[in-house]
Amino acid sequence: MATVVSGLTLGSLYAAMAVGLTIVYGVSHVFNFAHGHVAVLGAYVAWLVLGTGLGFGAGIVAGSAAAVAVMVVFGWGLYRLAIRRLLTRDGWQFATLLFTLGLAILMQYLLLQAFGPRVKSIPTFTDGSVLLWFGRVGIHQLIVLLLSVALIAAVGLFLQRTATGQAMRAVSLSVPGARIVGINVERIFAYTFAFAFAVTGLSGILLGSTVFMTPHIGWEWMIKGFIIITFGGLGRIQGAVVAAFFLGLVEAFVTLYAGSLWIWPAWLSLFVIALMVRPQGIMAGRAA
Amino acid sequence: MSAAARARSLLTPKTVGWTVVVALAAAFPYLGASRFALHLGMLVFIWAVVASYWNLLNGYAGILSLGNLGFFAMGAYLSAVMAIELDISPFITTVLAGIVAAVIVTVLLGLPVLRLRGIYIALLTLVFADALPSIISLTRQWTGGGVGLLGIPTFLPGLERWQGYYFALLFCVMAHVVLARIIHGRTGLAFVALRDSEDFAVAIGVDRFREGVKVFAISSFFTAMAGAVFAHTLGQLSPGMLAIDQFVMVISMWLLGGAGTLAGPVVGAALVTVGNEYLRVYGSLRLGVLGAAILLVVLFFPGGIVQLAGTVTAWFRRDSGGSASLQPPVTTGGPTAARGGDAAARART
Repeated sequence: MATVVSGLTLGSLYAAMAVGLTIVYGVSHVFNFAHGHVAVLGAYVAWLVLGTGLGFGAGIVAGSAAAVAVMVVFGWGLYRLAIRRLLTRDGWQFATLLFTLGLAILMQYLLLQAFGPRVKSIPTFTDGSVLLWFGRVGIHQLIVLLLSVALIAAVGLFLQRTATGQAMRAVSLSVPGARIVGINVERIFAYTFAFAFAVTGLSGILLGSTVFMTPHIGWEWMIKGFIIITFGGLGRIQGAVVAAFFLGLVEAFVTLYAGSLWIWPAWLSLFVIALMVRPQGIMAGRAA
Repeated sequence: MSAAARARSLLTPKTVGWTVVVALAAAFPYLGASRFALHLGMLVFIWAVVASYWNLLNGYAGILSLGNLGFFAMGAYLSAVMAIELDISPFITTVLAGIVAAVIVTVLLGLPVLRLRGIYIALLTLVFADALPSIISLTRQWTGGGVGLLGIPTFLPGLERWQGYYFALLFCVMAHVVLARIIHGRTGLAFVALRDSEDFAVAIGVDRFREGVKVFAISSFFTAMAGAVFAHTLGQLSPGMLAIDQFVMVISMWLLGGAGTLAGPVVGAALVTVGNEYLRVYGSLRLGVLGAAILLVVLFFPGGIVQLAGTVTAWFRRDSGGSASLQPPVTTGGPTAARGGDAAARART
C-alpha cells in the first residue's frame, strides 16, 4: 500500500510535468525536446531563490513566482525569436525537433556551468509522516500529491473557462477553423509556449523537491513525459493524467519487485506495446 | 546503361573529387602522420559511416531516427561478445553482428515505427538507445556492465595503429560506395518522390513502408558494422559511448556538415572528431559549443557546411524556404508537387 502511495505521488508528478508538453504539442504540434530541461530550469530558479535566506515558507512561494516569471518570458521569447521562424518552413517538424534538441543541449551545458554537476534538491516541505490505516506515509508525499493535482486542475480550469484557454483548445482542434472565428493563431501559439513553460517550471519544483535535480536529468523527464503523453494520446490532457498515474504506479512496483535497473526497459516495452496496440488512437487529433 | 555512358558517368567532377580524397586518405600514413593522427583518422572514418547512415534515415528518407548510436553500440557489443565467448574471427563477427543487429532493430523498431510518423519514430528510437545501458548492465556477465569490456580481439593480433587506420578506411569507402548506390538508385528516388508528392508517388506504386524497412535495415546494418569495426580496432568498449555527449557529437556531424547530402556527414565527422580532440582540455564546453552550433545551423543555414561552401546563389536562396532538397519530407510538400511527379515516375521504372 505504501508502494501504491509512492506510485500515485510519482504519477501525479509525472502528470504535472507531462501536461506542459502535451499542451505545447496539442496546440502547435511542436515537440519540445528541451521540455525536461525547462522543468529543471524552473527547479533551479526556485532553488536559487530559496538560497537567499527568505526562509522556507516565503522562499518557496517567492521561488515559484520567480520560476513562473522566468518561464513565461522564456517560453514567449523562444516562440517569438525562433520557433515562429521555423514553423514557416517546409520541414518545420524536423527543424523544430532539431532546434529544441540543440536548445536542450545548450541548456544542459549552461545549467552545468551555473550550478555544477552535483545533485541538488529542493528541501522537502516537511519531514513528518502520518500513520494511515495501512502504514506510515510521508506528509511530504501527500502534500506533493495534492499540489500536483491542484496544478493539473488549475490548468484544466484555465483551458475550460478562460477565453485564452478556449482559444488554445480551438487552435489545437483546427488552425484554419480557429482563424475563421477570428483567433490570432500566432498570438495563441506564443501564449501557449509561455503558459506551458510556466506550468512545466512549477512541476519541476515539485519534482525537485521529491526526486532530485542535476543538469542532465532533463532528458529523463522529457522522455518519460513523452511516453506518458503518447499513452494518453498526444495533446489530450485527461489521457496524459491517467497515463501518468498508471506509469507512476508501474514504476513504483517495478522498482520494488525487480529493481531500478528495470525501470527503463519497462517504460520502453510499455511504450512499444502502446504504439503497436493503438497507434491510430494515439495519432488521432488535428492533422499535421 | 551502355558501357560508354557508364564510363562517362564515372568521370564526373564528383567521382574524381571523391577519388582524390580517398587517395589522400590512403597516403596519409606515408606523409609522416603521427600515431595520434592515425588514431584520429580511424575515428573519423568510423564516425563518418555512422553519421552518413544516420543521415540516410534522417536527411534522405525523412525517418526521424534518434537511436542510431544504439545500433552502433549493439553492433559493437554483439561482435565483441561473439569474438570473445565463441572465439570466432573478428572479420566474421563484424558481419554477423551487423546482420543480427539489423534484424533485431528492424523487427523491434522498424516494423512498428515505420507505420508511424515523425515524432513517434524519433522518440521510440531514442528510448531504445536509452534503454541499452540498462541492458548492458543487466548482462554484465558478458558485456562487463558499466566497467566496460576490455581485451576484445582485434582484427589482427597486436593490431598496429596504421593497420587499424586502413581497416577503418576500407570499411568507410565500402560503406559510402553502397550508400551512394542506394541514394542514386531506386530507393533514393522513391524517397525523393514521396517527399515531393506523396499522393502521386503512392498512386504509381511507391510503397513508403517497404522502402522505409529497406533503409532502416541497411542503415542499422552498416551502423552496427561500424560499431564492430570500432570494437575490433580499439580493443575495448564502454557503455559511455551511449552517453549524451557522443549522441550530440554524431548528430552534429551530419547536421553541421549538411543533412541530406552525401559529403556533409563526412565533412562533419572530420570536423567534429578533430575539433573534439583539440577542445578536450575545455571539458564540457564542447557540449555547449555543439548545442549552440546546432541551434544556429537549424535557424540560419539548415544545409550546414556543405550548403555554406556551395555557390553564393544557392546560399542566398535559403531564406525563401525553397531548399527542398535539404529539408526532409515531414510535411506533404504542396508547392513542390510539380517536381515530384518526375521523380516518382523515375522511381517506378
